[in-house]
Amino acid sequence: MKEVDLISVGMTNFGKHFDKTGRDLLIEAAREAITHVDKGIDMKRDVKALCIGYFTPDLFEHQGHIGALSAEWLGLSGIPAFRTESACASSSAALATGYFAVASGMYDLVMVAGVEKMTNLDTPGVTNALSIAADDVFELTTGITFPGLFALMAQEYFEKYSGSWEDLQTVTLKNHHNGSLNSKAQFQAEISAIAEKTAIKKGVTFKDEMDFLKSKYNPLVAYPLRLFDCSPISDGASVAFLTSREISKRFTDKPLHIIGVGLGTDTISLSGRPDLTTSKATENAAVAAYKMARITPEDIDIAEVHDCFTINEVILSEDLGFFKKGEGLKAAQEGRTSLSGDKPINTDGGLKSKGHPVGATGIAMVHEIWLQLRGEAGKRQVKGNPKIGLTCNVGGSSASAMVFIFERGEK
Amino acid sequence: MLTVQNYVNGLKDNKILGTKCKNCGNIMIPLKPVCSKCGSFDVEEFETKGKGVIRSFTVIYVAPEKFKDKVPYVVAIINLDEGGAIMGRLTGVDPNKPENIKVGTKVKFEALVEGEEVVVVFRVDN
Ligand SMILES: [Zn+2]
Repeated sequence: MKEVDLISVGMTNFGKHFDKTGRDLLIEAAREAITHVDKGIDMKRDVKALCIGYFTPDLFEHQGHIGALSAEWLGLSGIPAFRTESACASSSAALATGYFAVASGMYDLVMVAGVEKMTNLDTPGVTNALSIAADDVFELTTGITFPGLFALMAQEYFEKYSGSWEDLQTVTLKNHHNGSLNSKAQFQAEISAIAEKTAIKKGVTFKDEMDFLKSKYNPLVAYPLRLFDCSPISDGASVAFLTSREISKRFTDKPLHIIGVGLGTDTISLSGRPDLTTSKATENAAVAAYKMARITPEDIDIAEVHDCFTINEVILSEDLGFFKKGEGLKAAQEGRTSLSGDKPINTDGGLKSKGHPVGATGIAMVHEIWLQLRGEAGKRQVKGNPKIGLTCNVGGSSASAMVFIFERGEK
Repeated sequence: MLTVQNYVNGLKDNKILGTKCKNCGNIMIPLKPVCSKCGSFDVEEFETKGKGVIRSFTVIYVAPEKFKDKVPYVVAIINLDEGGAIMGRLTGVDPNKPENIKVGTKVKFEALVEGEEVVVVFRVDN
């Protein structure tokens, strides 16, 4: 098996792009990824295959056949191109597929991408489109929603361990702080700033951030989760280039080595799981990725962890082995996962604040690891010259999980 | 072979059907056509009594289009007495007082026909 390097990543701003289609967003992300290749890339000459993660263009854009369409728009018609789908982990599935393709020796350079154009639909329409990632027979007939599924996990977590919704807000506050330092984020604002703005607009006052978070301006979505526990509806795209290690230096002296890849699944129906406070898919993926990389969770300097809802960042941070079961919430409250903590998580603001165009999220996580390990993360750069980073992207209610571990190249 | 349609028909007859592995005895609710423990395809229909306890619950305030007029409503995961668990809507509780809904409370299944669909509903067994 060949070793695989990441030679560039690019992404659009995440947010509401009312004037753009999915394919427009893909081109925008590709343009940035191309400019990020230190020594340049000739797309026509170098790209041997293309893999696009896109959860449901069928429902969002009435568009299928994304592989050939994307190749055409990128000026690459003729090369092998196809779409991967694993709900919110669709672009991690593209990354995994690209990894397999390069590692096998079949292609020496593969372009991988993620796209989601969600704002074509109104909120009930988006809720409906996303819901197909849950079990149509055993779950959706009850009227459950995605916030509802994660609310069920949160309730079981509070029941089994300790903690409350109030404690979870430490994740909201942290990720909004990080997002306020990210010019690509959908919400570049601290919760305190959002509270202040709301207070002025509505002519009310809030004692503090928690007073705002408990107010009607942060309404319940699925008890106990409220609006600010949820990642937003977003449009966006992300692109990365993978090469065999043999040729990566033709493109950059500062590649990231992909040293660990781990993938896992769990039952789609939550009721089929013996314990809602843990993601078996993530545990399986993490164990495989650490084993391949020959490292332990202690070796990870920085991580991107799928916080589609606040509770999930806590649960997954335990499943990834960063903290003991039941101690993830406490660790977050102690500041261990903040920018200056010993295990910084979601330094780009996470899905919560950066935005969550579902198909684009996996490679957008890689974008942050790329910046941080190369020392290019600007105001949110973590100290201590991080060398090893991890992404953990899950699909649906964590029924799919994909973990990648990256190590900074020599120079 | 027990299909999804058999399961749905079972609900209409007020029964929650699961499967039982003939090889290792594993009981699977929701039903699975292949044993999740030993991998055997040799499974048979298993009828539950439809009784169990609340394992976890949530109150839905933002609903998909077709449930919009029902909010707020409670959805729970119920641990069935025979083993296994299933998701259903919860009635006999006040959705506006979630603090009064307790994990471990006994509930009983009843089928609710809503248009074309049968909804799994559990009633708090007072
Ligand atoms: Zn069996």
